[in-house]
Amino acid sequence: MLAIKIWNYFKGYVIIRVEGLTLERLLNLSAAHDIYLWDVKRLSGIVLEMKSSTKGFRSLKQVVKKVGCKVTIKEKIGLPFLIHKLKERKMWFAGFLLFWAMILFLTSLIWRIDILGNEQTPKEEIIALLDSNNISYGKIKYQIDKEQIKDILNENYDYLSFVSVTIKGTKLTIEIKEQDLPPEKVDKDYPCHIVAKKKGVITKVIPKNGKAVVERGKVVTEGDILITGILTNEGTDEFIAVHAEGEVYALTRYSSIIREPIVKNEERYTGNSIIQKGIKIGNKGIRFIRGNVDFKDYKEFESEKSIINLESFGIKFPIKITTYEFREIELEEVKQDIDFLKNSNYLEAMKMINEEMPSDVLVQSKNTRHQVDNGILTTQVIIEAIEDIAKKQIIQNKED
Amino acid sequence: MKRQIEDVKYNISKSLELPMDIIMDLPKLNLVGDGELTIQNHKGIIEYTEGTIRINTRIGVFKITGESLEIKTILSEEITIIGLIKRIEIIS
Repeated sequence: MLAIKIWNYFKGYVIIRVEGLTLERLLNLSAAHDIYLWDVKRLSGIVLEMKSSTKGFRSLKQVVKKVGCKVTIKEKIGLPFLIHKLKERKMWFAGFLLFWAMILFLTSLIWRIDILGNEQTPKEEIIALLDSNNISYGKIKYQIDKEQIKDILNENYDYLSFVSVTIKGTKLTIEIKEQDLPPEKVDKDYPCHIVAKKKGVITKVIPKNGKAVVERGKVVTEGDILITGILTNEGTDEFIAVHAEGEVYALTRYSSIIREPIVKNEERYTGNSIIQKGIKIGNKGIRFIRGNVDFKDYKEFESEKSIINLESFGIKFPIKITTYEFREIELEEVKQDIDFLKNSNYLEAMKMINEEMPSDVLVQSKNTRHQVDNGILTTQVIIEAIEDIAKKQIIQNKED
Repeated sequence: MKRQIEDVKYNISKSLELPMDIIMDLPKLNLVGDGELTIQNHKGIIEYTEGTIRINTRIGVFKITGESLEIKTILSEEITIIGLIKRIEIIS
């Protein structure tokens, strides 16, 4: 019924009022003339109200002449009448269209550029760089190529380890992750702090510019300010921001724990296997189960094959046949030599630490501890070293 | 003569199990609760007021009485009436 109502609305219809004596004859004749009338209401002895399509209303005139009654239009409803009305109010309609056009236009511009994660690169510099590549406020967002922004940034700053560009609404967000720069590479025009690269115990602070806020023996964590770039004037309460420089040495700790069971289960295939088939449509699948898997221990393998191979055309056919294979395995307990295990654990731990530890550190001590607990050998290697943990971080403007 | 043709039609319809309303042009009523009545194969409206509607068919006049009756649609083959239907009479 709703569909018919919507259809009638689009076609347009009229509510008419008919006055006369033989109104039943009017209804019969219009039915015979294929004029569609609906919602016929009796208002009084001589008045009927009904709805008729615009096309039907035109042909109704002949019928009315025959019957001899009076027809008046009470209301015109539908899209054709609305359009007709709008044609008379052209400026209003133009304003309406302009309103939507403006909204569409204004929401397709970039109104804000956010840069996140820049610690050593000044924000102004990135924005100026993008500006010179025709990416700035007020540009249409559909014309901005995210890949291009990534390329520009990666070309100009070779120390970026990660760049992500997202456009959400009217905001362009650039998120970057910087590798630690050698301090002299940071632009000296911008004020900065010296912050801790990692946690440690301070052993020596050599400030060259700026004021040291930590002293020997203090424990710092990553991101703590070591040498501040904001200096207060003693007499007045003014702040001066400077480019802090200096070296901060700290005792840092690297540790790694490896756990390895002494008795190890070794798997061996017995050669028995059960195969089940299934069909996969998209990501959903049906598996045709035939019998139970009786094996005590088994491993499941799954392989897929398209019904129709269209790989050569670059199309992935969504219906696939899957084969599930259950292979029986036998578990065998093997006891490993403890000294050999200790040695291999130690090597594994050292490998992990070496990946983490920079090459220019001064190793102070190395501790290795082995412990057997519930048949598991735990090896812990701790290395303490002295290194420079200074890292420059540009002071962001307050309003950011 | 006419009577004979009618009988033949009736027999064919019976033996072949064809719907009688189509073969013999009989009116077919479809009543939903007491609120909506559809009449197929009508021969025109005779009277329409809020309380009574009389509809001509091949076998006689159907008189529908009730309250606040409205003709929802009217087509050459079908009439739909809504309102509170109280009584349906066949006057042949």
